[in-house]
Amino acid sequence: MYQALFVNTWPWWVGGILIGLLVPALYYFQNTALGVSTGYGNLVKIISRSKLPWLQGEKFADTWGWRVFFIIGMILGAFIAGRVEGRPIFSLEMPLFTEVLTWPFLGYAVFFFTGGLFLGLGARIAGGCTSGHSIHGIANLHKSSIIVTIVFLVFGAIAAAILKAYLLGGGGL
Amino acid sequence: MMKKLCFLAFGVYFGFVLSRVGASDYQVIFQMFTGEDLHLAWVILTAIIVGNLGMRYLKAKGNLDRNGNPIEIKQKKLGRLSIAGAALFGIGWGMAGACPGTVLAQIGEGRIIALFTLSGMLTGTYLYGYILSRWPKING
Repeated sequence: MYQALFVNTWPWWVGGILIGLLVPALYYFQNTALGVSTGYGNLVKIISRSKLPWLQGEKFADTWGWRVFFIIGMILGAFIAGRVEGRPIFSLEMPLFTEVLTWPFLGYAVFFFTGGLFLGLGARIAGGCTSGHSIHGIANLHKSSIIVTIVFLVFGAIAAAILKAYLLGGGGL
Repeated sequence: MMKKLCFLAFGVYFGFVLSRVGASDYQVIFQMFTGEDLHLAWVILTAIIVGNLGMRYLKAKGNLDRNGNPIEIKQKKLGRLSIAGAALFGIGWGMAGACPGTVLAQIGEGRIIALFTLSGMLTGTYLYGYILSRWPKING
């Protein structure tokens, strides 16, 4: 029982149902749309104390708003999941990536930072991320979210295909 | 403050589930994009369907939240560059094997490399605000 709940990866439908329930639950309890990436604006405001006009707007008026607490909660929830699963508190591994590619640490840092840069900038220009557009938006049958999600997936597949051909296909660099 | 604590609790739930269903696993994400393992695609599709059914249920119940206020759902608008932004996001998702939600789960699990993904995301978010202040059309 412990093994099935806390160690083995859950079946897709269990995770799918529990994540999907968040959409109506957040509306019912807080009248709020599910979303994560807007909160990165709050984090930038907190960390950089930036005076960028965008961060002075109404959306970020409450610097330590609920989005920051949602983000902190997510880290905490995964921290608990990792500990009950029996993971080490710190690990340098990224399954597959670090197994196939033995790069110097700086190489990993640059690669993942670059991916993150695309994600952060792209999410803001696209107006949302996987949770806000792909899950919340499509669940509410929003046309813009359907279009954006198709583009997310197509370009994710292109990036993965290139990675597989040149780096992760086993050939290495 | 109650609102923030409520979101903290929802966040714990979300992060726990993302980690337990393998959504934060680089290999699972990568293999969804290569089509080798559709586990995560099924997770997302199920979440969309359940989310849709839940919203239908709330509508059938009068479309009210717990306090009796009407539920307001805003559709995100697309700007001229939204598709380009989505393409950039997709490339980042495929590269880093994370999105703004799952990177938090990776960090919680203890994956050091995810800290670089997060730093990149914060820098990208800052960059958006910076570009917006010089060239407002990025959002139009």
